[in-house]
Amino acid sequence: MKILGVFLALLGWIVAVMGPSVTSSTGGRLFICLLGIAITLTGILGVLNKAHLKEAIWKR
Amino acid sequence: MTRCTWSKPCLWAAVVVLCICGLPAWAQSSAPASAAAAPAPAAPAINTPLGVAGPSANDLAAGDASGTKTGTVNDVVASDPAKGVTLADLVNQAGQNRIAINFVWTLVTGFLVMFMQAGFATVETGLCRAKNANHTMMMNFMVYGFGLFAYWVCGFAIQMGGAAGVSILGGANPLSHEFAIHLLGKDWGLWGTKGFFLAGPTYDVGVMVLFLFEMVFMDTALTIVTGGAAERWKYAAFCVSSVFMGAITYPVYANWAWGGGWLSKLGTNYGLGAGYADFAGSGVVHAVGGITALAVSMIIGPRIGKYNRDGSSNAMPGHDIVIVLLGCFILAFGWFGFNPGSTLGASGALRISTIAVDTMLAGCTGSFGALLFMWLKYGKPDASMAGNGLLAGLVAITAPSGYVNTMGACIIGFVAGVVVCFSVEFIDRVLCVDDPVGAISVHGTNGLWGVISVGLFADGTNGVKGLFYGDPTQLVAQLIGVATLCGFVFSLSYIGNTIIDVVVGQRSSAADELEGLDIPEMGALGYPEFVLKPQPVPAGAMAGSK
Repeated sequence: MKILGVFLALLGWIVAVMGPSVTSSTGGRLFICLLGIAITLTGILGVLNKAHLKEAIWKR
Repeated sequence: MTRCTWSKPCLWAAVVVLCICGLPAWAQSSAPASAAAAPAPAAPAINTPLGVAGPSANDLAAGDASGTKTGTVNDVVASDPAKGVTLADLVNQAGQNRIAINFVWTLVTGFLVMFMQAGFATVETGLCRAKNANHTMMMNFMVYGFGLFAYWVCGFAIQMGGAAGVSILGGANPLSHEFAIHLLGKDWGLWGTKGFFLAGPTYDVGVMVLFLFEMVFMDTALTIVTGGAAERWKYAAFCVSSVFMGAITYPVYANWAWGGGWLSKLGTNYGLGAGYADFAGSGVVHAVGGITALAVSMIIGPRIGKYNRDGSSNAMPGHDIVIVLLGCFILAFGWFGFNPGSTLGASGALRISTIAVDTMLAGCTGSFGALLFMWLKYGKPDASMAGNGLLAGLVAITAPSGYVNTMGACIIGFVAGVVVCFSVEFIDRVLCVDDPVGAISVHGTNGLWGVISVGLFADGTNGVKGLFYGDPTQLVAQLIGVATLCGFVFSLSYIGNTIIDVVVGQRSSAADELEGLDIPEMGALGYPEFVLKPQPVPAGAMAGSK
C-alpha cells in the first residue's frame, strides 16, 4: 500500500507536468493539472497515510 | 468711404499684433539654429583628468560638522593618483557603488533571515513540553550547521550552478552550467554543475553573496521539519535527514524554480505566463519544508498519548506561550529580510518598499484571520493560533510579495490565517498526523496557497499577471509547481527518510519519549531546576510501544 501511495503521488506529478505538452488550450491544461494534483493528493493522503495509520502506535 | 475710414486703423492694428506675436516665435525658431551653429562643448576624453578640486586638507582638518565636505571628488578613487580623477574613474566608481549597495543590501537581509533561526527555535521549543526543551532547541540549533555544511558541499552547486547572469550582483558568471535533458522538443534544466565546495572560479565575490543569501533560505526550510517531528525524533536520524535535505531535496526544487531549471522556463517553453513564479519562496522554502515535515511525521508516527484507540486526539499544550509569541515576532522581523531581500539589491530595485509593506500587511491580516476564526468557533482568542496565523500570512505572501498590490496582500494574508486553522484541525483529526507545532499547516498548506495566489492576484506591475488581472496561463504554471511540490518533493522526502528509518531508525524509544528526550538523547535537561510533572498517558495509548 505504501508503494502504491508513492507511485500515485509521482504519477499525479507526471500527469500535471505533461499537461502543457498534451494540449495547447489553457482550460485543458488547467484541467489536466488539477487532475494530476488530485491523483497526487489521493496517493499521499488517501493511500499512503492510511497505510501508516493501520500500523499506528495507538492502534496496536 | 465709410469702409476706408475704419480699414486703415485695422490694418495698423494687425501689423502691430503680428509684430508682437510673431517676433518671439521667429526668435524661438531661430534659436536652435543659432545654438546648432555654436560649437558643442567638447566632452572630456575618457582618460583626461577632470580637474575638479575637493576640499583642501586644511578645510578637512577643521572638521565637517555640516557634512558638506565629506563625500566629494576626494573620495573617488583615481586609477592614477598623480594624474587625478578621470571620467573613466567616475564611471567605474558608479558601477562599483551600484554593486556595493546591492551587496550590502543582500548580505544584511541575509543576516536578518539567519536570525529567523532564533525565532523558529523559540516558537518550536515553546510549543513543545518542557521535558523536550533541550532536544527541540538543539535540533533548531544544529540544523543551521548541518544544513550549511551540506549546502556548501553540493547543495548550492545543484541549486545555483547554472544561474549565471545575476546582473544585479555583478553577474555571478562562474555559475555557468545547468545539466538539462531534451524531452518533448524542449530543454528541461534539472540541476546545476558549478560551485561544489565554492571552489575554482566560484571563489568570486558575487557568488559568495549569492551563497550566503541562498544558504539562509535553505536553512529556513530545514528547520521547519524539526517542528513537525518534535518530541519523538531520534537525534541521529535528525542529523542525517537534515544533511539529505540540505544537499538534495531542497536544492533540486530550488534549481527548478530559481536556478534556471524547467519550472522557471514554463513561460518561454509553453507560454504559461512568466513561468513558475515564486518571488521569495512560499513554495521553494516553506512548502518544501512543510511537505517534508509531513513525510517525516507520517514515517515516525504520532507521540505516545496523542491519540486514543478510537482515533480521537488529545491536546498536548506547549510549555511556554511567552517564548512562542516572542519567536513569532522575531520571525516577522526576519521576514523583512526574507521578502524585500529577494530582490538581491536595492539599486535598481526600488520595489523593496512595496514588498516590505505587502509583507507586514499579510502577516497582520493573517493573525486577524486566525484570531477571528478561533474566537468565533471556540469563544476565546487563542494565542498560539494567533501566532500561527501571523506566520501563515507571512508564509503565504512570500511568493506573491513581489507581484501584488496591498489589497491583494491583505486578502492573501487573511485567507491564510483562516486556512491555517482549518488545516491544523484537518491534519490533527482527519489525517491523524501528529504535528506538535503546526508546521505542516503553517508552512506546507500555506506555502501551497502562496504559490497559487501568485496565479490569482499578481497585478502585472512586475512582469507577472494572474487570473484576476487577465492571464489564466500564469495560474497553470503555478499549479504545475504545486503538483511538483506534492508529487515530487513529497516522494523524494518520503523515500529518503524511509531509507534513513531503515538504516538509522527515525523514532526514539517509547521509554525515552515518556521520560522526555532531554536526558536520554541530549544528556541534560533544558530546565534542570524545574520539577517536571509526569504526563498521564490515556489507557491504551501505550499499547504496542517498545
